[in-house]
Amino acid sequence: MLEEETSCQVGGSPAAEDKPLTADAPQGRLWTWQEGDCTVIRSNARTGPGCHDNCGVLLYVKDGKLKKIEGDPENPYNQGRLCLRCLAAKEMIEHPSRLLYPLKRSRDKRGQDCFERTSWEEAFSIITREFTRIIDAYGAQAINVTQGTGRDINGYGPLLARLIGTPNYGMGFLSGQGCYAPRLMMMFFKVGDAFVCDYSQFSPERYDDPRWQPPGVIMVWGNNPVVANSDGTLGHWVVECMKRGSEIICIDPKLTWLAGRAKHWLQVRPGTDAALALAFCNVIINEQLYDADFVSRWTYGFEQFAESVQGYTPDRVATICDVGEQSIIEAARAIARAKGACLQWGVAVDHTSEGFYTGMTMFDLLALTGNFEKPGTMVAARPCFGVEETWLASQKAIDALEVPANPGLEKRLSGPYPALAALGMPSNDEMLKALETGKADLTVDEAGQPVSGSYPVKAVWLQTNNTLACMGAQPQRLLPALQGTDLNVVVDLFMTPTAMAVADIVLPAACFSERPGLTGHHPYYLGAIAQATNPPGECKSDQRIIFEFARHFWTAREGEAVARLASPWETEEEFYDWILRDAPFTYAELKERTWAYPEFCYNKHEKGLLRPDGKPGFNTQTGRYEFHCLALEGFGLAPLSGYSEPPESPVSSPELAEKYPLVLTTGARRWGYFHSEHRQSPTLRQFAPWPEVMIHPQTAKEHGIGEGDWVLLENDFGSCRMRAHLSVRIRRDTVSADHGWWFPERDPGDGTLFGVLEVNVNQLLPMRPGRSGYCNSYKSQLCRISKAADTASAGPSDSED
Amino acid sequence: MEHTNDSKGFGLLIDYRYCSGCHSCEVACQVEHGYQPGVFGITLMQLGPEEIKPGKWQYDFLPVPNDRCDACVERSAAGKLPSCAQHCQAGCISYGRIEELSSMMAHRKMVLFRL
Repeated sequence: MLEEETSCQVGGSPAAEDKPLTADAPQGRLWTWQEGDCTVIRSNARTGPGCHDNCGVLLYVKDGKLKKIEGDPENPYNQGRLCLRCLAAKEMIEHPSRLLYPLKRSRDKRGQDCFERTSWEEAFSIITREFTRIIDAYGAQAINVTQGTGRDINGYGPLLARLIGTPNYGMGFLSGQGCYAPRLMMMFFKVGDAFVCDYSQFSPERYDDPRWQPPGVIMVWGNNPVVANSDGTLGHWVVECMKRGSEIICIDPKLTWLAGRAKHWLQVRPGTDAALALAFCNVIINEQLYDADFVSRWTYGFEQFAESVQGYTPDRVATICDVGEQSIIEAARAIARAKGACLQWGVAVDHTSEGFYTGMTMFDLLALTGNFEKPGTMVAARPCFGVEETWLASQKAIDALEVPANPGLEKRLSGPYPALAALGMPSNDEMLKALETGKADLTVDEAGQPVSGSYPVKAVWLQTNNTLACMGAQPQRLLPALQGTDLNVVVDLFMTPTAMAVADIVLPAACFSERPGLTGHHPYYLGAIAQATNPPGECKSDQRIIFEFARHFWTAREGEAVARLASPWETEEEFYDWILRDAPFTYAELKERTWAYPEFCYNKHEKGLLRPDGKPGFNTQTGRYEFHCLALEGFGLAPLSGYSEPPESPVSSPELAEKYPLVLTTGARRWGYFHSEHRQSPTLRQFAPWPEVMIHPQTAKEHGIGEGDWVLLENDFGSCRMRAHLSVRIRRDTVSADHGWWFPERDPGDGTLFGVLEVNVNQLLPMRPGRSGYCNSYKSQLCRISKAADTASAGPSDSED
Repeated sequence: MEHTNDSKGFGLLIDYRYCSGCHSCEVACQVEHGYQPGVFGITLMQLGPEEIKPGKWQYDFLPVPNDRCDACVERSAAGKLPSCAQHCQAGCISYGRIEELSSMMAHRKMVLFRL
């Protein structure tokens, strides 16, 4: 710590300071040196390939070629450690199937393996010509710009949408924008900031920072952090806290490794987590175990909340969740009595239909127990040094762009969901309907006000997004819908099933060792991605593709002078200097120090550091944590937490459950893979060579299914095949299916789109959000299983566990 | 880090209370030595999953150096940790002199391998 706590600002000081206030001392830190016959480049591995982390790496380069990648022992983030994805990253970076050049294909040949190499100039010209025609005929809102996850796109993709002039930018075609966005918005509505568990990651001294203490209890809820590494959390930080005394309370339908080490493991029925959280609150309130001081000083609506949880008795909820009543009571007491408790949640929260409320219940539990802004609890995370684009869409950056006005900016396709409109993204569920019907029906505007009118959606730009294999539910609907547009552009590292199925133009993106850039995804420190080698072929970084296309587009539409205002950057370094315009570093300076930590402090709400008016409190309308959420009330939604059964469940739809007796949960993370990526890498593929569905041995026996058998999963939405893996880790009434599968080794011309629709479990999942417009049913569906008759694609199984 | 050209007297202490089974040790070894996929100098073993008694599970992983392990002598000579020990995500592989490591064996589920 270089400064007193009182000098702390959330996310770090602005550029106006003479000297940047940083918590780390960069003196003597080298960014490059010679080691034997290799040049070593110190960098941060911020994608591609996809990942949600920023691990410090040493890139060994000889004669312009990457020789190996090691963890950087000095980088506080990962302290020299690396997961197998980075250790084996060369197999992806140097893979012979990498896309190397822009490709074009005639629209009437979509789905066929007949791309032709083209130049960047021609690719940009074709896109510009089509976009211009579409904008002139229908408005720029007819272009849907979409991102996936993993590559650093969150803040840069929205710039592209603004540069084109469309308000329609989202995580296409993720039903209910169901990946962290619901939880982020829930946090902004209820407590005014994004809060994360304090694993000491805000301090360069890490676990040795004398201010820090490990959480007494880490609630690992719907997340397997050591495998998933979600949302900027390096999962093994949890393990470091366990070494220092943290206890685990794990809520998961499956025995994860952490569940096996938990003080309390509650093996809930999928989709019932909200009821469990409310039962915890019931116990804590009725046994007077809550933090009365925090509740009275810093919360709003407690009386109503306390009343509303009375129905969620441990006895009743034990039946709902199918866990022991006593284990609910004991876990609740452990949470309340812990010296610091925090929440390590996962996307499972967003993947049940009313998951928006599930997230609310979990935060109500944290507020009830006063677990905010103390060491080892939930602490507010804001962009470092004011650099927002490295994390999320930045309105500040969008407003700073000098782009000519385009019709349609107010016409975001939010459908009937005002709470979703506040996110600034369209409803993907409405977007799919729009593609299918030829018209997008506006229902509310950006401010959530009712509006009428409709327009068609004619073009889709998919960047870092393999939607047919991964994010999109009902890919069997998405495929014809996307094939019906006028133009589709895909930007990716490899020829994916999505690109093969729908792209007219494919643009090749660069990997992290091949480009400059910045760290991101969750703001603990700001770091540089340092370029170690030239990109192969004509690959360009995602960011360079965005700003060069914008220049081309506006040059064609309005001439070079206008284009130079809209997209003024010639080099990536210039672009990142603009991204860093409010930070106390240029890109070159940041590259030389590799990382910079802003000053961090606790108890920010007490110090007046969270509100724009400088007053103590949280950044909400009431200045308090809102048990009773005024923002939700304003959107016409229930302001208090509550539990709803999933639309398809043994309880809510018993007749359907007779036909489909098993609960289906999907998307558990696997070592070595990031969503639909990495299947090309032999080293990573060896640990999970086939798509698998985990079935309890008893259930498998009842269905005549053995280890490694190909199994048919079916429900009224659709079906897919996977190989059975029998394990006592899963509930008997539940099966857990892998996601993101395709077979890149298949002949791209065999007409199967790399087998994606044979094995994509999302065919059993609806494009259907919850009442708020957020969340989906990816982890709480129903299905039946049977041994598949056709085992033509069967092969060896190397199952692990 | 002690510089050494010889692994004699050195070992790996595995604290498998914390091994999550992440495979980083295997892949770090494979990459360090240029082995083919599936060929490692350290092998991840698994215990369970088995419910030993109600609510108490054995579900453990344990990396075991095998006959291909050369103790990363080249790295040690350069003052670096063996690649498995450096990259272990759980930080549960310690490298050092046998006597020092043995004095650290304060719990169950700790295994000392002589290199």
